[in-house]
Amino acid sequence: MMALQRLRLTAWDRGIVLLLILTLLFGGMSSELFLTGDNLNFVISDVSEVLLIAFPMALLIIVRDIDLSVASSLTLASAVIGITYEATLSMPIAVVAGLATGSLCGLVNGLLVTKLGLSSLAVTIGTLALYRGLCFVLLGDMPISSLPMEWTDLAFYPIGSTFLPWSVVLLALFGALFWYLLHGTRFGRWCYAIGQGEEAAAYSGIPVDRVRLLLFVMTGFMAGLAGLVYTLRFASASPDGAMGYELIVIAAVLFGGVAIAGGIGTMWGVIAAVLVWGASRSLLQLAGFDANALVIVSGLLLLVSVAIPQLISRLREQLGHRSPRGGNPTRGEASLPSGNEVVHPSPAGAGHDQGSN
Amino acid sequence: MAGNLLSVEGAYKRFGGVHALAGASLEVSAGEIVGLLGENGAGKSTLVKTLAGLHSLDAGTITLQGRPFSQGNPRSAREQGIAVIYQEPSLFPDLSLAENVFVGRQPTTGGRVDWRGMVSQTQGLFDGLGIDLNPLRPARGLSIADQQMVEIVKALSIDASLIIMDEPSAALSAAEVAQLMTVARRLKDQGRGVVYISHRLDEVTELCDSVTVMRDGATVATAAVAQIDTTQIVRWMVGREITEMFPKFDAEVGDVVLSVKGLTRAGVFHDISFDVRRGEIVALAGLVGAGRSEVVRAIFGIDHHDSGTVSVSGSVLRNGSPSAAMSAGVALVPEDRRLQGLFMPAAISRNIAMTVLARLRSRLLLRGISERRVATDWAGRLQLKYANIEDPVERLSGGNQQKVVLAKWLATDPALLIVDEPTRGIDVGTKAEVHRLLSEQAVRGLAVLMVSSDLPEVLGMADRVLVMREGRLVAEIARADATQESVMTAATISGALA
Amino acid sequence: MTGRNVASTALKAREFPILVALAAVVVTTGLVNPTFASSEGISAILIESSVIGLLAASQSMLIIMRQIDLSVGSTTGLVAFLVGQNAAANIGVPFAVSVGVGLAVGLVVGVVNGFLIAYLGLPSLVVTIAMLYVVRGVFSHLAGGETITAEQVPAPLVELGSGSIFGVPYLFVCALIGAISVTLLLRYSRWGRDLYAIGSNPEAALRVGIPVARRTFVAFALSGIFTGVAGLLLLGRFSFADATSGLGIELYVIAACVIGGVAIAGGVGTAVGALIGAVLLQTITFALGALGVSQFWQQAVAGALLVLAITFDRVVAVRSARRVVRRVEVLA
Repeated sequence: MMALQRLRLTAWDRGIVLLLILTLLFGGMSSELFLTGDNLNFVISDVSEVLLIAFPMALLIIVRDIDLSVASSLTLASAVIGITYEATLSMPIAVVAGLATGSLCGLVNGLLVTKLGLSSLAVTIGTLALYRGLCFVLLGDMPISSLPMEWTDLAFYPIGSTFLPWSVVLLALFGALFWYLLHGTRFGRWCYAIGQGEEAAAYSGIPVDRVRLLLFVMTGFMAGLAGLVYTLRFASASPDGAMGYELIVIAAVLFGGVAIAGGIGTMWGVIAAVLVWGASRSLLQLAGFDANALVIVSGLLLLVSVAIPQLISRLREQLGHRSPRGGNPTRGEASLPSGNEVVHPSPAGAGHDQGSN
Repeated sequence: MAGNLLSVEGAYKRFGGVHALAGASLEVSAGEIVGLLGENGAGKSTLVKTLAGLHSLDAGTITLQGRPFSQGNPRSAREQGIAVIYQEPSLFPDLSLAENVFVGRQPTTGGRVDWRGMVSQTQGLFDGLGIDLNPLRPARGLSIADQQMVEIVKALSIDASLIIMDEPSAALSAAEVAQLMTVARRLKDQGRGVVYISHRLDEVTELCDSVTVMRDGATVATAAVAQIDTTQIVRWMVGREITEMFPKFDAEVGDVVLSVKGLTRAGVFHDISFDVRRGEIVALAGLVGAGRSEVVRAIFGIDHHDSGTVSVSGSVLRNGSPSAAMSAGVALVPEDRRLQGLFMPAAISRNIAMTVLARLRSRLLLRGISERRVATDWAGRLQLKYANIEDPVERLSGGNQQKVVLAKWLATDPALLIVDEPTRGIDVGTKAEVHRLLSEQAVRGLAVLMVSSDLPEVLGMADRVLVMREGRLVAEIARADATQESVMTAATISGALA
Repeated sequence: MTGRNVASTALKAREFPILVALAAVVVTTGLVNPTFASSEGISAILIESSVIGLLAASQSMLIIMRQIDLSVGSTTGLVAFLVGQNAAANIGVPFAVSVGVGLAVGLVVGVVNGFLIAYLGLPSLVVTIAMLYVVRGVFSHLAGGETITAEQVPAPLVELGSGSIFGVPYLFVCALIGAISVTLLLRYSRWGRDLYAIGSNPEAALRVGIPVARRTFVAFALSGIFTGVAGLLLLGRFSFADATSGLGIELYVIAACVIGGVAIAGGVGTAVGALIGAVLLQTITFALGALGVSQFWQQAVAGALLVLAITFDRVVAVRSARRVVRRVEVLA
C-alpha cells in the first residue's frame, strides 16, 4: 500500500506543477490583467511569507512533526523588529533581533518536543497562543509604523526594470537552499528516513532528535525572516498580523504532496502548490470574488489534499491490493502499530468499519 | 476422552512460499493443561492465531466442544469460548481493571452502567483466582504478570472454555510464574482446558498434564508428561541431527575486536562480560526475554547502559550513541527487520545507502545515482533478487529484505558485525545464503556476534556459544562441547551450569 | 447517590488540584483587591467563562477519544450570527425556531466533520482546521459587514445573557448543565465508556469489537449540537454578532480542556474538569487585571498555562508509566 502511495505521490507532484502551468495559462486567457508585470509582482509578494515558511514546514511534516505556531512566531519577530528599530534606530540590529526571535521561538518548540517528548501538535497549539500573546504584551494594541522608507520601499519597488519584487531574492535563495537540503544532502535523506520509520532511523545511527530540533529552529528562523518581509511589506509591526497563516502554510504543504503521515514529499511540489494557491487567489480577485471566497478555497484545498490520497488508497485496497499486515508469519504477536503518532491518529482510519454491532 | 474440548486435525496454512502449518494437530480435553512446545518457527504462533480467529486455515478441521469452529473472526472466536492470553497483553491503560475486564459489555441497570456491580463481579473473579488487585485501580503501571491476570479474568468473565497462554512466562519473575501456575491449575479445576506455551521445559513438566510438540509446522509428538522426561522433549523439538549444511569456513582468529566488561542495565541485564575476536563467530543464545537483544542494543548504543564498558578495537565507546559505535566500526542487523532494519516504503537503493551517505557526496551534492551505484554493487555481491533497485523494499521477500539489511551494514565496512536473529522468518534457501555470507565475513577478518534462537544455526555457525538466562551470562560453551542438549539445558533450567 | 458519586470521582482524580489552584487564585487576589472576590466579581468571571466552558465540555468528549475539533470557534460565531439574522428577518418568530436554527447549523458542521474523520479516516486536526476556514469563509460571506445588534436578538437570549438565579448567571448555569450531562453520559453509558476505551488504546478498542468509526461520528455530531448551544449563549452574552464573532476561541477551548485535566493523548478527563479549566483560565485573566497587570498579558498567560499544562500532564504520565516501560523493555 505504501508503495502505491509513493507512486501516486510522484505523480501528484507532477500534477501540481502541471496545474500551476494550467492555472497560469487559464489566467492569461481569462483576464488581461493577470499576466501583467504588476499583477505577477503582486502575486509573488502576496505568497512570499507563506512560501518562506512552507520551505522548512515541508521538512518538518516529512519527519512527522508539525509547527502550528509559525504565524505567531512571524508576528512576534515582526514586533521585535519594530520595537528594536524604535529603540536603536538601526534596521540591521532590528533585523538580527527579529531573526533571533524567530529562531528562539523555534528552539523553544523543538526543546519541548524533543527533550520532554511532547507531541508537536499540542506544544505548538500552546506556543501559538503564547507567542501571539507576547506580541500583545510587547505592542499593546498600537502597531509600530515608523519604519525607515529605504527599507519599506524594498517591499514595494521591483528589482530594476523587471516586474520581480525584491522578496524574489529571498525566495530564490532559500528555495534553492531548502531544495538542496532536502534533495541533495545526507540531512535530507535523514528527514525522509525519520518520517518513514523513526525506529529504523535510530537503528541506522541517525541522530533523530537532533534533526528534529534543528528543523524546529529552522522553521522558527524562516518564520522570523517571513516576519521581516511582512513588516516591510505592510510598513508596520502590529500584534494581530498574519492571522491564520499557519493554516495556509500547512494547507499548501499538504496540497504540494507532502503526506501528513510523513516520509513523502518534494520541494518542487510544495513550491508549485504555494504558487497555484497564490495564482488562484489573484484570479478569484480579478474575477470579482471577495476575500471570503479565498478563505473557503484554502480550506477546501486542504481537505482535498488529504482526502484524495486517502480515497485512492482505500479504492486500491477495495480492488484487492490488501496490505500484508497480519498475514506475515515473521512478526511477533503484537503486529499492530503503536498509536504513538505525532498527529492524533484517527482510530477509524485503522480499522474501517469492522466490528459494528 | 482425548480431545473432547478442542480437536485440531490436519491443519495446513501457508504464507507466500512459507508453510507455517503443515499437518498440525492438537487435542485438548476439559480440565486438562496441554503444553504446546516447539522451536521458534515451528508453527505454534500460527496455530494460536488461527484459534484466536486471526487466520483461517488453508486445509484441516477444528472442532470445539463437538461443533465445527468458525474461523477468521476474533470476536466470534471469543464468543465460541476461546480466549488467548498473550505475552504482552494490550489493556486500556487509563481504565480501571474492572472496566478492562468488562469493556464494551459493561453490566447495566436500566441502561446505566452499573459500576458497583461491575466492580463487585470483578472482585469476585479476582477472589476466585486468588488475585490480589484492586478492581478500581487503572491498568497503567501494572506489571506484565498482573496484566496477564486481568486478561485471564476477562476470559473467565466471558466464560471461555479454552484458555490459551502464549508464552506467558517469558517476562515473568520466578514468583510471578508460580502465581501464574496456581491460576492455571484453578482454571483446570474449574473444568476448563488450558494450552500453555513456553520454552521453559521445567515449567512445562511441572504444570502440564500432556505435551504436544511441533516442528516445521507439523505436530511430531503428543505424550502424557508422566511418561517422558525433558531430554526426550528436547529431542522431539530438535528432531533431527543437523541435516542442513552450515557452510562454516575455517577462519584465522586474531585480536580482540569487541570487549564487553561488566555491562549492566538495571532490571534488564547484569554484569555481562565477554570478548569477540577477529575471524570469530560468537553466538549469544538463550530464550526469548533472556536479555540477548537488549545486550546488543546497548553495545550498539540504541539503549544506554548503567555501568560497565564496551570497547571496540581497544577504545571505549560512548554510552548510548549509535553513531559513535558506527564510526568505531560496529554494525547491527537488528531483530525486527520491518520496524528496525528497513524503511519499508523507501527504495532498495535508499535503504542500502542510508549508512554510507557521508561517503557518497560528490562536490557537495548527494545524488541518487551514487546511491544506486553503491546499492547495485552490494545487491550484486549478495545476490539480491530484485526487479529495479528503485523499487520499494517492501516488495521483496523476507529473505531478500534481510539481504538488504546485511548489505546496508556490510557497506559500512565494519570491524564488528552484530546480527540479531539473522534468519528469522526467511526461507531455507536464503537462510543458507545468509549463513555462507556470515562465514565469509568471518574469513575476511570480521568479528561476528550472532544472537539466535535457532539452535541448529547456533551450533552450525558459532565458534563459541554464550548462553544468557534471565539477564545474566550463565554459560560459555566451546564449539566442540556445544550440543543442542547442553545449550538448551543452560538456557532453560535454573541451577544447571551456573 | 449519583450526585455523591460524581462529586467524589470529580474530586478524587485530576480535577482536584485544579480546584485548589482556582481557590488559591481567588483567595490571594481577593486579599490584594477585595472587589475581585465580591459576588459581582465572581459573577463576571462566570459569565465570561460560560461559552468557552460549554465548548470545552463538549470538546473534552472528543479529546478523550483522541480527536480534536478546531472548527468550533468559526461554528459558534456562525450560529450566533445566523440565529440573530433569522430572528431579525422574521419578526415574531417563535424562540424555539431560533434554537432549532442554532442547533441545526451546529449539527451540520459536526456531521461533516464526523463523516470525514470517522468514515474517510482523515486526521481530525487537518479536517477541522480546514473546516475552521470553510465555515469562517462562508460566515464572512453571509455576514459581509452586517452586524446583529441587541434589538435583533431574540428576547429570551437577552434575558439568558443578563439574568441570574441565586446569584449564578444563567449563562453559567447552561454551561454547568452541559458539562454535567456530558460527564454523566460519559460515565454511565456504555457509549461513553467506549469513548474512553477508544482514546486509551484505539487498536485494542477495535480488537474488542467497539465500533470505533460509528462512535467517532456520533461524538462529532453531538459536539456539533453543543457548539450550536454555545453559539446561542454567545449571542445572548454580547447581544451582538458580526463576521468576527468567535474568532480564535478554539485555542482557549483546547487550553481549558488541557488545564482542566483532559489529557491531549486521550483516555482521561471529564467535561466538568474542562469547565473548571475554563473558569480557572478566566479567573487568572481577571486576577491579572485586578492585580494591575495589563490586559495584554491575557493571551500570553493562557498560552503559557497551556504549555505548562501539557508539560505537567506528560511528566505525570511518564512517571506513572516508568514502571511499565521497564517491564516492557525486558520483552522488546
